[in-house]
Amino acid sequence: MGRYDCMPVRPLNVGVIVKLEPDFSEGNVSYNPDGTLNRAETKNILGPHSAAATLAAFYCKVKYDARVAIGTMGPPIANQALRQAQIISNADELHLYSDRIFAGADTLATAEVLRLGVSRMNNGLGADIVISGHRASDGETGQTGPQTAWKLGYPFIGNVIDFHIDQESRSIQATRFISLYGFYDVIEEIQAPLPVFISADPSYKPSFNTVSERLSLARNLNEARSKADNYEKYLQVYNSEGLGADPSFVGLPGSPTIVYKVEKIPKARAKRRVEFIDGNDAAQLETVAKKLLQLMTEVPIK
Amino acid sequence: MSEPTHNLESNSENLGIAEPYQHLYVVIEHEEGIPVPISLEMLGEARRLMDNFNKKYSSNEKVVAVVLGDNVRHLCDDLIKSGADVVVYANHPSLRHYTNLLYTKIICQIVEDKNVAGSISPIGYENYKKPRYMFFSADNTGRHLSSTVMAQLESGLASDINKLVISDLEIRHEHKTKGQLAKYDKTLEMYRPDFSGFLWTTILCLDNRNPAIAREYHPQSCSIIPGVFEPITKEDQRTGTFIDFEPRISDEDLRVKVLSRNIIKSTIDFESCKIIVSYGRGIRDSPEENFKLIEEFAKSLNAEIGVSLPISKRPYQTKDQHLLSYMVPERVIGTSGRKVSPVVYIAIGISGAVQHIAGMKESGFVVVINPDTDAAFRDECDLFIRGRMEQVLPVLTELIKKHMLTIEKRA
Repeated sequence: MGRYDCMPVRPLNVGVIVKLEPDFSEGNVSYNPDGTLNRAETKNILGPHSAAATLAAFYCKVKYDARVAIGTMGPPIANQALRQAQIISNADELHLYSDRIFAGADTLATAEVLRLGVSRMNNGLGADIVISGHRASDGETGQTGPQTAWKLGYPFIGNVIDFHIDQESRSIQATRFISLYGFYDVIEEIQAPLPVFISADPSYKPSFNTVSERLSLARNLNEARSKADNYEKYLQVYNSEGLGADPSFVGLPGSPTIVYKVEKIPKARAKRRVEFIDGNDAAQLETVAKKLLQLMTEVPIK
Repeated sequence: MSEPTHNLESNSENLGIAEPYQHLYVVIEHEEGIPVPISLEMLGEARRLMDNFNKKYSSNEKVVAVVLGDNVRHLCDDLIKSGADVVVYANHPSLRHYTNLLYTKIICQIVEDKNVAGSISPIGYENYKKPRYMFFSADNTGRHLSSTVMAQLESGLASDINKLVISDLEIRHEHKTKGQLAKYDKTLEMYRPDFSGFLWTTILCLDNRNPAIAREYHPQSCSIIPGVFEPITKEDQRTGTFIDFEPRISDEDLRVKVLSRNIIKSTIDFESCKIIVSYGRGIRDSPEENFKLIEEFAKSLNAEIGVSLPISKRPYQTKDQHLLSYMVPERVIGTSGRKVSPVVYIAIGISGAVQHIAGMKESGFVVVINPDTDAAFRDECDLFIRGRMEQVLPVLTELIKKHMLTIEKRA
């Protein structure tokens, strides 16, 4: 009882890992005639799930006055993702992990680079909380976050829709949303001591309620804009050597998996017998309307 | 860590000599003691694959179900009937609810345990190191669990798989084989549809045979899309082995606590409505106007509205809040969303990517409205209305209203 330490609360260090991804929004995305993505014509942006992770870091910045570092592995062009993430989060450090030998990495080899990167964040103090997105829009494996967590030795808490940090006890309380695909959905409350690794659910949205939070919000938004104008000042670029990576654990040598082949998915054998209807023929549409109503009214409503 | 790759695959010719990597382990998910459907689907596919495997290689490797929980012994019979040869179960009050940390540790304890391997198959288990193959579910839980388990076992993982083949492959790879041709026997080809749903990527998990970076990568593992594989018909006379595994749990492993867990019903009720109307990127020419037509049409049929995955990423600039509330992940039909089976499913402006089809193929009667008769959906529907939604929907909605009125009058 009556806890009152002379020691000030230890500052909170946050790390975020993000990814530059194809922009799937209309007008920016381009598809080939066969329905596949035209990567050359499609713009790249900070992926929406990475943006959700960045927002979660901004929440820590506003609410807990945290120090925020954002890292990404990729070619130099991935700078764009870091700059966009800085605008969202008012980050203090931007890390680019870039080396030709990282190319072709699968999730395990990527996680190795990110593990080393996180340990260099926040002036080498690392991070008390690492945040990733749910999954990338292009790779979509959702494996890199948890694998990075495991390699860091941090417990992984996925699909987080809300969280709070207790800075005195240095612990997190997080709310998870779990979809069981047709079974039902579950909301779970989790508690764990720091450090932890969380992935922000796509639906994550921070809220700022108190007056002091709103003041902090305004100040941080202003700062973020001016920082991002000079984002290079905050940028640190690490190659393999700078990270102290073991070359046999990163890039292609460190990747257990390879892409063996890519092919068009053959059309499935038709399971239904399709009947074609001319959409401009009102008489044909009338039979459709009748059919639908028949199906709708004959079977009793549950 | 790297170890010499001595006679790793060559022993397929020396039957009887045990290999360090054996069996197919399937990580079972259940909710309060009831297996979720994907668990039985994985066992079904595992059974088919290993039956062929054992025949082809004259071997006797097993399908091993791994199940964790509090009081899960009663599940075991069901898992055997559904295709497992062996069930390894770990009972502990701390395992009642999934936490990634503890589950990862215990699963790794089980799959690396020589004694467990000995109970699975006593022949040559002294050489056993790790599973040959491993399956997880590609749902929220399995996706994370597969990642952390493979990070611990330091092996490869492919996600969201919908086809699996075991074969002997000749591989020439810059790094894996240092450009030499090498034979990789009993390789699991893992087919993964990409985000567009039109390309299939085959992922392999291969040992590094290149002496400079030699490393063994086993198990070959993947997460499997719910709803694509068929469970086997349960056979009551099937028998198998149960192994009661004593989990080793430290205080450190218990530092993540589940404080509460509540089941919530989705606000969008796809289960009790008879008709679902879904729309996709075909609305792009005028999203707001087209959505009004779709909503009116759905209303006339008392239908719930679903969307394809691209729509949930809000690809259109619109300030129409009402429309935006219908462009959300909760409405996605498919492998990244919900699996539905209404009496009637109507797909408007959806091309029919495999992920979407997997979410609705159990529907009773399927109607497609699309100007492109080459759309993949043509093979998955009963009626294909060739036309633009702007033209078809107003007419169809009016006709339905008209006939509905007649039905109501009659009643």
